[in-house]
Amino acid sequence: MRQLRILSRVFVETGIGLKRSGWSNWLVVSILAIALVIFGTILQFTMVLKEVVNSWGSQLEISAYLKDNCDPNKIAKVVSQIPDVQVVEIVPKDIAWQEMQTTFKVAAINNPLPNTLHIKVTSANSVEKVALRLKSISKIEHIRYPLKVARSINKFRQFLEIAGVVVTAALTFATLTVIGNTIHLVIQARQQEIEILSLMGVSPWYIKGPLILQGASYGMVASLAATLLILVMHFYVDPYVHSQLFAFMPFLPSDLNAFMLPTFIILLLLGVSVGASGGAWTSGKYIKI
Amino acid sequence: MIQLQNVYKEYGGRPALVNINLSIGLGEFAFLVGPSGAGKSTLMRLLYREETPNRGTVMIGGINLTRLTNKQVPLLRRRLGIVFQDYKLLASKTVFENVAYILRALGVPENEVQRRVSSALCVVNLEDKSQDFPDELSGGEQQRVGIARAIVNGPPVLLADEPTGNLDPNTSLEIVQLLERISQRGTTVLISTHDQLIVNALRRRVISLSKGQIVSDVDSGLYELEAKS
Ligand SMILES: Nc1ncnc2c1ncn2[C@@H]1O[C@H](COP(=O)(O)OP(=O)(O)OP(=O)(O)O)[C@@H](O)[C@H]1O
Ligand SMILES: [Mg+2]
Repeated sequence: MRQLRILSRVFVETGIGLKRSGWSNWLVVSILAIALVIFGTILQFTMVLKEVVNSWGSQLEISAYLKDNCDPNKIAKVVSQIPDVQVVEIVPKDIAWQEMQTTFKVAAINNPLPNTLHIKVTSANSVEKVALRLKSISKIEHIRYPLKVARSINKFRQFLEIAGVVVTAALTFATLTVIGNTIHLVIQARQQEIEILSLMGVSPWYIKGPLILQGASYGMVASLAATLLILVMHFYVDPYVHSQLFAFMPFLPSDLNAFMLPTFIILLLLGVSVGASGGAWTSGKYIKI
Repeated sequence: MIQLQNVYKEYGGRPALVNINLSIGLGEFAFLVGPSGAGKSTLMRLLYREETPNRGTVMIGGINLTRLTNKQVPLLRRRLGIVFQDYKLLASKTVFENVAYILRALGVPENEVQRRVSSALCVVNLEDKSQDFPDELSGGEQQRVGIARAIVNGPPVLLADEPTGNLDPNTSLEIVQLLERISQRGTTVLISTHDQLIVNALRRRVISLSKGQIVSDVDSGLYELEAKS
């Protein structure tokens, strides 16, 4: 009960501190929010790509593009002999071309497409094995399978993740400095008061607690603002993705908003911990009691 | 209640207190006098652990201050009432809030806070100014707020370093009489001062410091200026 009363007083003191900081509150929140929007956007990108890699990369299909001067039926027969191959479907180039012409308005040129085999394998483990065998067939020009594409997407995602970490570290440092400066100003303004409280036997935590909470509340408000901004971005970007990019990238998750909740939680945790540690760091540095 | 043994304190090689031995009992009332630079404030700061001695021990209520860790200092200070020459009130808070601050920080229930603050303000006769801010009060009134704040948590020891240093003679006398009344309720009171008038008016124990040393310690004494002695 006593602890609870002390805690509630710490919250009251936090409120008083925030009120005194005035306009600089909004400066800190804006900077922190911008940092979180950047971080959140990168985060969402990596999450979408991860989803792509997971769902689409596990498909058990291989496309083999054939050289022009051969009979697709003959090769299909050879391919069906390979262990672990389940179904071989022939897509003649004329049919593929017709399909393409109806979906997209393509100029009337000569059919550039090759004959194609769609090969289904029995399990995810055998995709690579079968792919290797297919490559050794000389009549097959080129093969493509989701796993391969998924691999390159994964590489890109890894790059994005590293970039994300670097960007986040830089932004964290920048915002820590801004939060630290703001709270330093509060401490300077309250220097005499802090000295008095210390002489009265007020515990250091009671003095520092409100400053740490002040930082944490910056993080909370900023993460809310950042989440809202990202939602607004979705509102404008998603229709474009669906109408323009979906045809080329059918593997994109249909609901791009699905990652909002985890993003919000991560932004909240990051924002609050950056804010609180900014407050803790500064008050530890400048309040020596 | 207060005990110093062979206390030595220097600042950068220059001694401020030399071989101080002193004992002040429970509920006692004493003046600490001496010319400027004698070491009065230094001794006070040792008592509320703003400083530590280079040698010797300082004890208050059985607590050895020289062994106190930094974390334990707030615990000590809650058991002391400290009154300052410059009052040290929180300018942004009302009289009531100033006195209530430590109680609230310690998690005392609000109705208890109200009761204890009212009674402390009653002792210093400032109930009707409880909603005023410090800068709306006279010096004497501000010091009374400082005293109310010092006694609100019922400390066994009250330390006052030149509490009347910024006040006119009449107000000074009122303040020390107030402190004397507080000591009559069982609180040990130590007042440092170089105000001859108040010391001689009360005729209580007088401990004289000069150049960092205790030169006399008499019960119901007078403050004799250096030049006269
Ligand atoms: N923080 C400090 N750093 C260096 N020297 C100090 C410090 N505090 C006090 N002194 C020195 O210690 C000696 C005693 O000072 P102190 O403040 O205790 O005197 P005082 O009796 O309170 O004087 P006053 O009546 O003017 O308040 C003085 O010579 C002073 O210069
Ligand atoms: Mg002094």
